[in-house]
Amino acid sequence: MAKITWRIWLLIILLVIAGIVIFNWQILYGKVYVKSIVPNSSAAQAGIAQGELIKEINGKAINSIEDYSNALALLKNEAEIIVETENGTFRYNSATLDFELDNKTIRHVSGNAEIAGLKEGMIVESINNFSLETYTFSEIKEKVEPKTKITIKTNKNEYVFLSTNNIGMVVSEVWPTRIKAGLDLQGGARALVKPERALTREEMANLIETVRYRLNVYGLTDVNVKDVSDLEGNTYLMVELAGATPIELQDLIAKQGKFEAKIGNETVFVGGHNDITFVCRNDASCARIESCNAIEGSESCRFQFEVHLSEAAAKRHAELTANLIENTTGEGKSYLNETLDLYLDDKLVDSLFISSDLKGKVTTAVAVSGSGIGKTRLEAYNNAETNMKKLQTILITGSLPFKLEIIKLDSISPTLGQEFTKNVIVAALAAFVGVCLIIYIRYRKFQLFIPVIITIVSETVLTLLIAVIIHWNIDLASIAGIIAAIGTGVDDQIVMIDESESKAAKQYSMKERIKRAFFIIMGAYATVVVSLLPLWWAGAGLLRGFAVTTLLGITVGVFVTRPAFADILKIITKE
Amino acid sequence: MEEETKAEAEQEEKQEKQKQEQEETEETKKTEDKEKETEEKGKKEKEIKEEQKEEKKETNQEAKHEKKEYKHIKFLSSGWYDKNYKILLIISLLVFVLAIGSIVLFYTKHGDIMNKDVTLTGGTTITVYTSDVNLAELEAFLKGKLGEVNIRKLEDITTRKTIAFVVETSSDANVTKAVLEEYLKYPLDNSNSSTEISGASLAKSFYHQLLIAMAVAFVFMAIVVFIIFRNLIPCLMIVFCAAADIISALALANVLGFRISTAGIAAFLMLIGYSVDTDTMLTTKVLKRRGEGALNSRIKSAFKTGLIMTLTSLAAVLIGYFIANSDVLKEIFFILACGLAMDLFYTWLANASLLKLYCEKKKIS
Repeated sequence: MAKITWRIWLLIILLVIAGIVIFNWQILYGKVYVKSIVPNSSAAQAGIAQGELIKEINGKAINSIEDYSNALALLKNEAEIIVETENGTFRYNSATLDFELDNKTIRHVSGNAEIAGLKEGMIVESINNFSLETYTFSEIKEKVEPKTKITIKTNKNEYVFLSTNNIGMVVSEVWPTRIKAGLDLQGGARALVKPERALTREEMANLIETVRYRLNVYGLTDVNVKDVSDLEGNTYLMVELAGATPIELQDLIAKQGKFEAKIGNETVFVGGHNDITFVCRNDASCARIESCNAIEGSESCRFQFEVHLSEAAAKRHAELTANLIENTTGEGKSYLNETLDLYLDDKLVDSLFISSDLKGKVTTAVAVSGSGIGKTRLEAYNNAETNMKKLQTILITGSLPFKLEIIKLDSISPTLGQEFTKNVIVAALAAFVGVCLIIYIRYRKFQLFIPVIITIVSETVLTLLIAVIIHWNIDLASIAGIIAAIGTGVDDQIVMIDESESKAAKQYSMKERIKRAFFIIMGAYATVVVSLLPLWWAGAGLLRGFAVTTLLGITVGVFVTRPAFADILKIITKE
Repeated sequence: MEEETKAEAEQEEKQEKQKQEQEETEETKKTEDKEKETEEKGKKEKEIKEEQKEEKKETNQEAKHEKKEYKHIKFLSSGWYDKNYKILLIISLLVFVLAIGSIVLFYTKHGDIMNKDVTLTGGTTITVYTSDVNLAELEAFLKGKLGEVNIRKLEDITTRKTIAFVVETSSDANVTKAVLEEYLKYPLDNSNSSTEISGASLAKSFYHQLLIAMAVAFVFMAIVVFIIFRNLIPCLMIVFCAAADIISALALANVLGFRISTAGIAAFLMLIGYSVDTDTMLTTKVLKRRGEGALNSRIKSAFKTGLIMTLTSLAAVLIGYFIANSDVLKEIFFILACGLAMDLFYTWLANASLLKLYCEKKKIS
């Protein structure tokens, strides 16, 4: 009587649903998607949105990350660059200028410019006939650096725009499943942050919002910020970043970022939108590395960018500068006798001379500067860039309302994560084969062996289905949980097989025997559930992954797959 | 099921005698056959025939055996198990005492009941992704430069190639990183390394919380066991065996020098659930299935089922342990393996013997 009961049907239906839900249908429409977009970049201005699937770039089909980088490499359209200096004229072909200017002096020569013979310290007169007397360096850069027409076809739209090689888009390959890997499998960072004092619910919500905003402004999009509490009643802020970990993460999260610009002891303006209406970023005409110098064996690079002050802050600036005295330096420039001191978290980061012509004036545009130090010039340059980005972020987002301390920080390399993922799959398969082997050795019956496999597989699939539905990320602990759940699943199946084959219980019907097996199963289920419950709260919930997947796994098992298994068993034993 | 027990309890006095008589005959037959049977595991057909025979005789001989009412204990002692189960019990209790002793000793030596790693004491773990490392040389280099250091390799199971090495230390992350960079002569960043930092006070608080979680889980488990059986002494036996199981697993982990992290404690929690399921099954078969064969045969059938249950789980976690290269997984699997091995021991040596003792005291056959 091979009748397929409703329990078996339920299992089949759930498995079909699982297949539909877990499979990422997007992959049928495109293999590469836009993970994030750099603000103000060509891509952002063209209107490309995060999450769009890239199908073609300049007529070339994009089916992998490789295709994407190849397509971009083809864009390398070089232009002839002619640099006239006091030491002669240099010509080279390049997509970028490959040097920076400090006033008119060349800094940071690289690539083709270096090959052409340009050297640091040369004085430039003109580039491609644009004289430095009439144009600023950034303006010339904008005009000279070649741009190409790029056509990007996505699943939503076709975008045509001009851009340099740097489109300003981060892309990623579409996964075939919608299962999200946890941090320890895909790489990333997790920080547990403790505020200086216990926060109210509202304060915490405010803090979460500010931290998230700050990270987003910095250019990190795949961010998860939430509050967690533990058994002892402590509340923490949990920050999770998928993928790579920026070196500055610690600074971005834990530095309060209290920025103050002071003249003497008087504050002119502070970070945040009350005083600052605009911060120049990603635009070399008003935010750039100004100069680099060797100081006492190490290198130092200065950056400067423009900010716009609100009316109130500009007025304060005028009042505070009105009574200062003008001083003339040896170079013939005139400055005020007090400097504009920039403080970050109460530490002086830079002092700026205030030009005499600003005295008492209501100016909204103010330059903010700082520096980066390194062993080599390149290191100093990179540090200066990082510091500039950090300061810009802080000026835009303002300071965090509370002092924070990172008390736990895990950053996992994506490389190691991949290694773990591969390994985990091998381990799970091997464990699976081992279990099957033991069952076969014990019962020597293929009829039993097959439903056991079916239930093991479906239990795993259904656990993953729930994980996808509740947006649960599968991390290493979760995988241990799934394996543990399968372990109990197999245990229960053994109880059922033994009950169904029991000679002692033959006065009972098959139905009765299965019922008896379920008494044992439910008992075991209840004990596992209660023993894992405390993990929800303990240790700031860092072990929830393990608890949740184990519970999901055994719950699915007890209520869906094992009843189905029982029915399959009935069919088999009757035949 | 609970109603069943109540009803049984009421009628016990009347029915018990009769029942006992019935099963007694079966028991005598059974014990004679016992040694044979154990040898012939798997030959079920034969067993079925024997059982059928027994049943027929059972009814015929019912009256006959009424006289022997309380002599069945003597009869049972003819079998090996009946002779030796008390010894088995004593062995298991001795092992338990030994486990407690080793933990006490460990405590006096180290000031704690387990060997905690940096996630529970506070410190830094840096995993450097490289195939080229000489651990002995690295250890010599790090000695004196960092606080307490623990170094190990991660290997790819299939190729046996080193994929990374792990440095665990109580030192600060920046110091550790600087010292490692000095040794490796290249900078460490997110593409070639992973860093995990745990603050000391947080780690301590985690440890306390996880111990509390374990205690709570244990109490919850005990409550569930009581609800299932509603019978104090057998429940205490189960709870005792679960406790012995976990304590012995911890002692084993200590003896083998295993360091326990937060994930390891999660594994111990899992063990609480795992360790009682064979005990539950055994107790169900012995106390709630009195009509189905003699006491020894019920224990035996429970043993057959339970052995396979534990063996499959043990196989899965052992295979997982040997193949996994992630510390988290290795640790969870290792602790589960210790616990399952101990479970095998305590369920069938301690719990089965205790139950048998209980049944004999209560005249349940």
